[in-house]
Amino acid sequence: MLTSMAQSAFSTWLLSSNSIWAYPTVLTLHTFGMMVLVGAALMIDLRLLGFAQAIPLQSMDRLFGIVWAAFALNAVTGTMLFIADADKRGPSLFFWTKLAFVALGLVMTSMIRRRNFAGGTAPVVISSASKRLAIVSLLAWCAAITTGRLLAYVA
Amino acid sequence: MLNLANLADLAHVHLLLNHFPTIGTILGLGLLLLSFIRKNEHLRKVSFEVIFLIALATFPVYVSGAAAAEALKGAAGVSAAAITAHNDAALGSFIMMEITGFFAWLALWRMRRIGRMTSGLTYTVLVLLVLTVAAVARAANMGGDIRHPEIEGGQYAGLFGSSGSAPGLISAAGIKDYVLQHPYVWPTCETLHFIGMSLMFGVLMIVNLRLVGWLRGMSFASVHRLLPFGLMGFGINFITGMFFFIAASEQYTQNVAFHWKVVLLMLAGVSYLVLTVYDEAWTLPASAQAPWPGKILGASALVLSVGVMYFGRMLPFIGNAF
Repeated sequence: MLTSMAQSAFSTWLLSSNSIWAYPTVLTLHTFGMMVLVGAALMIDLRLLGFAQAIPLQSMDRLFGIVWAAFALNAVTGTMLFIADADKRGPSLFFWTKLAFVALGLVMTSMIRRRNFAGGTAPVVISSASKRLAIVSLLAWCAAITTGRLLAYVA
Repeated sequence: MLNLANLADLAHVHLLLNHFPTIGTILGLGLLLLSFIRKNEHLRKVSFEVIFLIALATFPVYVSGAAAAEALKGAAGVSAAAITAHNDAALGSFIMMEITGFFAWLALWRMRRIGRMTSGLTYTVLVLLVLTVAAVARAANMGGDIRHPEIEGGQYAGLFGSSGSAPGLISAAGIKDYVLQHPYVWPTCETLHFIGMSLMFGVLMIVNLRLVGWLRGMSFASVHRLLPFGLMGFGINFITGMFFFIAASEQYTQNVAFHWKVVLLMLAGVSYLVLTVYDEAWTLPASAQAPWPGKILGASALVLSVGVMYFGRMLPFIGNAF
């Protein structure tokens, strides 16, 4: 199935088309989504870790919407990029490690929201459990970027 | 893609811009000293703003210098050794300039926050600036040595080629060799470049969406606290980006995507300075809308930063970078 994906007309178009709207645009949208998603998640993490405490925690709730919108963009563009290279990415442990870090980041971000933003009021004192979640989230997103970027260099 | 400049144009751009750091740092130093004599804090703020802007303007000076060196390749009466020596001196002074610009920015950020200039940062900037003026003047002087009509038939040793250059404190050729001979350096820098970009954009997103009016519930003064993280992200990307540029400058000097990236980066830098010292927004309460100039500033800063990312990602597709 991976091979048939990689040999599909879609894959051929995405990889071989000389159009700037093919591979370059999909890749750039994926980069844009990454920057928005990780940027928003990092800001929530930093605030939970005690930086910029002047920002009311509750006001950061809207950033979770940005995280999920950016994730939707990257799920779509990421799927397109995967189909194009399916025979290469499918068997690659490195690729699935990247996805595992993305999943971990999303789970951490969801847990942070449930723990700190549920019910319309954010806690005044941030629990050490929330801080631990913020650290794991921060590391997970950096690891997702690292493994994602290095996909261009590993076979 | 609209072409901005060719190699010969860029050599002219270098000749045009290369006076900015020399004159700008001396002007900044003059204003800073005058602020001590007059005990005028406003003047001190202006001098720090000038220093930041000159640090920003030094970036196109350095990168256009690489284009000028390529344009002069093999030209009669040009000393390759002098180009290498000038490049090394310029790189050293460029690094000094950026460190000074960073501390000037930090002083401005602190001043906005606590309402007065702290003397520790002020004297740090003063000392760094004096050193920078000396380093920039030395680099400029060595730049003047490059075109010597009497050295007819001088062999050009490659842009950052090591032959003929006296070993100095900083060697662009050494950095280039290091990056190209260690296969892990480029991918590591790329990874850090993406992490730095995300950190920087996270800050820009919150601060500018607040100005635009979408993220109300935060006062501008509270999001102002995040600005050093944005600059930290920029610092990561500046250092890793310079590794790319020095290691493979020929990929960038003739790359129209890179030209656009530099232009947008300069404008984004100016908007970052405005965000740092912006008086009208500083008093903005959590629930209030920013005045319309603030909204325009926020929207343009967002567009500019996405534009910088766009042209960075498009370097291999619009241009010729790998």
